[in-house]
Parts: sequence; structure tokens; C-alpha cells
Amino acid sequence: MQQRRYDLREVMVQTFIDAVEKNTNLAVVVSDSTSTSKIQPFQERFPERLVNVGIAEQNLVGIAAGLSLGGFVAITANAACFLTTRANEQVKNDICYSNTNVKLVGLNAGVCYGPLASTHHAIDDISTMLALGNILILAPSDPIDTKSIFEFALGYEGPVYIRMDSGKFPVIHKEDYQFEPGKVDLLKAGSDLSIIAMGSTAYEAFFAAKDSQANGIDVEVLNISSVRPLDKAAIAESVRKTKRVITVEEHSLHGGLGSIVSEIIAEQRLRAKLVRLGIPQGQFSKAGPRNEIRAYYKIDENGIIETAKMLQAHD
Amino acid sequence: MNPFNLQPDEIAVKARGIRRKIIRTNVSAGQGHTGSDLSEADILASLFFRVLNINSDKMNDPNRDRFILSKGHGVCGLYCTLVEAGYLPETLLETYLKFDSDMPGHPVRQKCPFVELNTGALGHGLSVGTGLALSAKKMQRDFRVFVLTGDGELQEGSNWEAAMSAAHFKLDNLVLIVDRNTLQLADRTETIMGLEPLVEKFMAFGFDVHTTNGNDPAVFIETVEKMDMQNGKPKVVIAKTVKGKGVSYIEDRAAWHHRIPDGDEVIRAIEELE
Repeated sequence: MQQRRYDLREVMVQTFIDAVEKNTNLAVVVSDSTSTSKIQPFQERFPERLVNVGIAEQNLVGIAAGLSLGGFVAITANAACFLTTRANEQVKNDICYSNTNVKLVGLNAGVCYGPLASTHHAIDDISTMLALGNILILAPSDPIDTKSIFEFALGYEGPVYIRMDSGKFPVIHKEDYQFEPGKVDLLKAGSDLSIIAMGSTAYEAFFAAKDSQANGIDVEVLNISSVRPLDKAAIAESVRKTKRVITVEEHSLHGGLGSIVSEIIAEQRLRAKLVRLGIPQGQFSKAGPRNEIRAYYKIDENGIIETAKMLQAHD
Repeated sequence: MNPFNLQPDEIAVKARGIRRKIIRTNVSAGQGHTGSDLSEADILASLFFRVLNINSDKMNDPNRDRFILSKGHGVCGLYCTLVEAGYLPETLLETYLKFDSDMPGHPVRQKCPFVELNTGALGHGLSVGTGLALSAKKMQRDFRVFVLTGDGELQEGSNWEAAMSAAHFKLDNLVLIVDRNTLQLADRTETIMGLEPLVEKFMAFGFDVHTTNGNDPAVFIETVEKMDMQNGKPKVVIAKTVKGKGVSYIEDRAAWHHRIPDGDEVIRAIEELE
């Protein structure tokens, strides 16, 4: 069955429009990234609320900080690779340390840019942002999650980083689902194996779990959209129950979800078999069609199913 | 309206008081940026005792003028100015650079009134000031934004991204003040990485350019008060200063970027500043 899929950026932009209509004093800052952010519907409605600083990421973040100090809820929208690395010091000082009310949207994160290769891949954005203090880190998984996350972020007073994807995403949540910061999102309960996936790979894990179920493996799926604050207790509880864990992320295995779950297992002295799927640490990601990159690192549905079977067989 | 609104000669007296506090505070802390602090004292005194439209009863007034100390290492000069003006108690200066104190070695907005941005890493103030000035335009507020940078700081490329955008957005409510003492940490700016011709650079970027004496409140204030704040152009005031101004043996010496007066030097400094 072919499910309808949605561009999460379009959902994001609609939340901006809705927020302004509900009198949120919002400004969106882009760095020539009007098409990257799909911001056009917002720009047409509220041209005076869109600021384009040109190709200048340091200035993008600094200006957003200034706009927020002047009373705006400021949002930056540009490619994650340039935001989190080139403008890193501005993010650290002007946003996090200065505690300005800015929402940093890292667009086309992970390996979204596929064949454009490693200058454009952001497989270190979560690791980079987790290294900074005083900022929430969120990674939406589907259109319902995206809407809920942006509604939360626009109402939250303080720095937020939101990891966004350029792909088209199926719906994996019920319509009334509400994102809660610091709460694990249980997509499916199970007893044999925990698949813990971050944001953009959650649907791969969700569908892999359904297939695995048919193969006799009772899989639990946790989506981690709220990377910081993190629901460590719920992750530990799931690991304690299933004793087998696969983490899935379109991110380096250094400092991402796999690292976080490893820390929880170590700190809480849990006994579990762990397989971390992602880009091996110390490596740049392969370039090429995105689905082939995901297949190569086994962070797609098939790769997760294969890994689940392998874990089950090695009991 | 500035709550003091002093005359230039009165501001010069305040600047001397600020300088004495700078010497005592740095000596007491055992470290600091003496040369930078002394360099900017007349500019800070002019701003806080006359130019800035700020209200001590309503420090968070959204219509207040904003000041960003982009050269964050000159923070002792700012602390001493705020103490001189009575915004902070003098006893707080004893905590300068102490563990977890309210007076760390670079400004922190969560800890100090009139600090808009946590600076210290150079080349950040102008972008944030540009965003603030842009917010004023968009919200039809008439406050002005003053950003004080060092001159060596202008070697940071981020300033020029910000300068390009400030002119593009026609932010005539933005005033960049350059503390042009011609010295940076290691040596003369022109030896390390030349900035000149600075006037022409800013003109080419679309700024309304003013040069003035940054160690003479009368001249500095006249420059700032005569600027056309509605000409569609961001302003730059290249304020010629002497690093270490006011203490003869510190003046214009790169070695005093980090040095602290010792023994008889302290007495001599205070005597020269009386």
C-alpha cells in the first residue's frame, strides 16, 4: 500500500503562518535559503517578516539574535551543514550562552543532499548541538510530530535547535498526537527487541517493526524526537524489558542517538545486546542517491529488519 | 533622555574616576585588560553620562537605546562605568574575575544591567546590533543601537558580513564605534594585518563615516550628536584613541594589553589620574 507522504518543511511553514495569525511576533531569517526552507507561502503573506541576509551564515545567526533581543521570536532557516558548523560560534555565544529567543532550524540535515556529498551532509549536527549548553534539541519524525514540535518551540522562551529533513514522510502518528518535550514517543510496544530511532528514521523503524512482527519478533519502537530534554528513564525501561537494542539515526555514531543510548546502558548498568546503526564514527558519509546511502548504512527499513533478524538469531 | 546628561567637562571628570577604578580593580584582581579598558573610558563615559537614552528606573524599557560592548575584553571599563554611574555597587568590583562572580572577564547579560549580549569572542556585536536595529525599524521603535568594537577586532570577517547587511537594510539607527588605538594583542594593527584605509572601506560598504577623537568627550560627543540619524545609512565613528590612555607608562604600548600595574606603578597611575 502506497501511503501518502508529506514534506515536513511545508508543515513547518504553515505553523509559522498560523503563529503570526495568532499574533506571535515572529520573524524568519534566511541566508538565500528561501527555496531550501520552502518559505514562499509565508513570504507572500508576510513579506516584512522575512529577512534574507544573503549567503552569510554567521550574520544570519547574529541578526536572528538581535531580532529576538528587540522582541521578535526569531527563526533561522537554512541548511543544517552551514548553520551548525560555519556559524557554530554565533550559535554558541549569541544564541545559547546569551539565552536569546531564537529557533534554529537545521534544514536538509543528515544525508538529505545525497549526491552533493560531505560538504552538504550534516551527520554531526546533533553531536555539535549536544556539545553546547542551554539549548533544546528536537528532531521531528512525521508531519503530525512536526506541527506539534514547531507549535511547542514557537511558544517556548529560549534557544531551540530543530533538525529537519527534506524528504517526504508518511504519517506514523495518530492525528491527536501531541509532542511533549522530554517524553519518549512510543510508536509500538513489544517485548523481544527495542528499536530506538531518531526523528527522520523513525518511520523506517516503524515499518521494519511491522515486518519483523510477521517474522515472529515482537518489536518495541521508540521515536526520539526530543533529544534534549531526553527521557532516559523510558529508554532504560524499554532496554531492561527487551534486553536487545537497535539504535537508528541518519547521523554519525559519534555523539548522536547511539552514543546517548550507550551512555544510558552503561550508567544504569543494564545488560543488553546493542547494535548502533548510523554512519561509523570517524568517517564521512558516502555520497549518492539518498535511498542508496540509507541502504548502505542499514538505516532503512530493510537494513533494520536484517539487523533485527541477526540479533534474534545470535541469541 | 539620559538621566545624567552631563557636559563634556563633567564627563571628563567621570572618565578619570572610571580610570582610577579600572586601575584599582585590575590590580586587585591581579589580571585584566588594562590597556583596552583605559582606551575606551572616555567613549563609555560619554555614552553612559550623556548620549544613551536609558532609564535607570526602567532598565528593560523596550525603547531604550542599546549598547553592545563587542570588544568584550574591555568589560572592566564597562563595569567601572556602571559603578561610576551608580547602576552597580562599588563593592562588586572586588569580585571581578573571582569564582562564579557577577563580574566575569567578559560581559554576561544574565549578570549585569545594560549588557545586551554575551561578548568576548570578537566580531559578534555588529551582527547582533544589526538585528536589533532592524527590529526597531520593523516594530517602528525609535531606539538607537551603539556597538563598540576594537580595531583589531575588525580583522574578523563576520564584521564585514554585518556591515554589508546594515547598509543593505538602511539601518541609520545603528552606530558602530571603532576604538581605533592602532594596537592589538601582539603589535600594531598595521603590522599584524593592516586595516587601512579604514574610512574608504566603510564608505565602500555604504556607511556614513565619521572620524573623531575618542579620548576627548567634547569632540566625541559633538561628532555623535551631529550625525544625521535619518539618512538611510548606518554610521561608523572611527574614534582615534590611545591604548592605556591616562597613565603615561601604559599609553600606546602593546605589552600593556594584559599587564597589570605593580608596586609603585599603582601609586603613579592613581596620581596621574587624580
